Amino acid sequence: MTTLATATRNELATHRLALRYGSRTVVDGLDLTLPGGAVTAIVGPNACGKSTLLRGLTRLLDPAAGTVTLDGSDVHRMPARTLARRMGLLPQQPVTPEAITVESLVRLGRYPHQRMLSPWSAADQAAVEEALTRTGTAELRDQPVDRLSGGQRQRAWIALTLAQDTELLLLDEPTTFLDLRHQLEVLDLVAELNTDAGRTVVMVLHDLGQAARYADHLVVLHEGRLAAAGPPAEVLDAALVEAVFEVPCQVVPDPETGTPLVVPRARARRPTTH
Amino acid sequence: MTVLPVARRAARHRTLLLCAAALAALVALTALGLSSGQASMPAGTALRALVGLGDPGDVLVVQQFRAPRVFAALIAGAALAVSGSLLQRLFRNPLASPDVVGVTGGASFGAVLLLATGASQLLTPLAALGGGLLAALALGAFARRSRVAVGSLVLVGLAVQAGLAAAVNLMIVRFPAELASSALQWTTGSLYGSTWPEVWAGGGAVAAVLTAAFLHSRRLSVLDLGEESAGALGLTPARARLHLLLLTIALASLAAALSGPVGFVALAVPHLVRFLAGPPTPATLALTALTGGVLLLGADLIVLHLLPVHGLPVGAMTATLGAPWLLVLMIRRPAADRSTP
Repeated sequence: MTTLATATRNELATHRLALRYGSRTVVDGLDLTLPGGAVTAIVGPNACGKSTLLRGLTRLLDPAAGTVTLDGSDVHRMPARTLARRMGLLPQQPVTPEAITVESLVRLGRYPHQRMLSPWSAADQAAVEEALTRTGTAELRDQPVDRLSGGQRQRAWIALTLAQDTELLLLDEPTTFLDLRHQLEVLDLVAELNTDAGRTVVMVLHDLGQAARYADHLVVLHEGRLAAAGPPAEVLDAALVEAVFEVPCQVVPDPETGTPLVVPRARARRPTTH
Repeated sequence: MTVLPVARRAARHRTLLLCAAALAALVALTALGLSSGQASMPAGTALRALVGLGDPGDVLVVQQFRAPRVFAALIAGAALAVSGSLLQRLFRNPLASPDVVGVTGGASFGAVLLLATGASQLLTPLAALGGGLLAALALGAFARRSRVAVGSLVLVGLAVQAGLAAAVNLMIVRFPAELASSALQWTTGSLYGSTWPEVWAGGGAVAAVLTAAFLHSRRLSVLDLGEESAGALGLTPARARLHLLLLTIALASLAAALSGPVGFVALAVPHLVRFLAGPPTPATLALTALTGGVLLLGADLIVLHLLPVHGLPVGAMTATLGAPWLLVLMIRRPAADRSTP
């Protein structure tokens, strides 16, 4: 039983991973372990290789050197479908086909579970229903996705990755383009997926405070290399933020959650009129 | 029996109704095509003559002259429409169609080249396929070298198409007189002089490729989600796209082998179907095939029987309708761009 438990612990790891676009090296010599069963947030300044790393983890980008393993087996040597049954990805800017309805979109998440001529099964429908319910998009199922609000559209796309029924979910900046309420809605959903449904989540985030609130494990990238990794409370301090983001700041406990909160130092005070 | 939600059920219902309507139109036009002409006869007589019953004169007219032309129109129309539909989805460009990106030109060129060598006409589909593939390869090589965006590829294709059409014209001008009668087919597209061997060979091949296209429809829907999502769902986008592109080229080339470079059908039918039946599903692919067949057969019957001008090629008819359609699409393009982020 022990072997079975360790076999599906959903632990992604990189070993001396290098990722390149053409001759430009974006990620270099990265050794990383993303704990299974946890929510991991990858943060870092723009162009530090966050999204590239996510592409490398999912086979969308082949490593120039090194390997990515999922519970010990090489991700880039796994059959595409086998991997797609274990790991789902929500891209930063997903392409919504014109006029597709929410349910039709979510149904496409079942692709890795279907064979060429297999009919739509009860299991497929159950997975779609569960994904719609969990993301609160069930009553939107007949709406065209391209007419939804940003927050609804994002939830529809998350529903697609949920219908894929993978234990591991990778989300690339799932809160970008959303207003604060919808950002929190998406992050709460992610937290729920982790605690209730036991999914392992790896997401790229911009907001350090949100990352600290919602992640169990924080990965800080800087210029394609690992700057720090670990629980947010242990990792996130003023020195790190200053070194990585070049922003002088204080790190104080979040008044709501006690997790680290980055407060940038004020520059020259703006004159107040009146 | 799974219970479908209301909108999906309604959409499927509408698509099925439209398919039934297209099928009825197809049967009606086929009957019309077989029965009308210089020796008109009732539809029943024509259908009996098709299977070899009745007056030997009728049998000859129907079996030897009318039927091959009718079936060639149906097969070529279906192939063109599906080919256009696949291409528009693969390129994410509503203006993409095999006669715009050069595949049809390549296929015609291949067929004319074969004609010039005097080889058996049974090889025409193969020669057309070769020409279509070469044109697509040329386009692909150029795109790769110059790194044009997929959207602009259509413009490069236009140049390839124009060049190949010019080459076809050049060869035909130099043809001996006895071959010149086929010129019409290869310059504008015509169904004149279709024969049974052409219909059987073309029809069989088109049926096979259409079946393959239907089997790919799930993959096509996943590809619609873009490179990253498709990859994350376990599809290898580059390979899937190549397979679908090959099917598209095969369909367009086989159609060209039957009818020459008929324009408009591949461009317009996908838009028409989308307008009538909504976003693409396997059922709308079937509707596309049926509508393509109906449209080309209808155009050919208009050319044959309704126009005062005698011997006008069907390609001229579809091009006359197609030119303004293309303009409308061009003008409405910005609106289409807004709806796809």
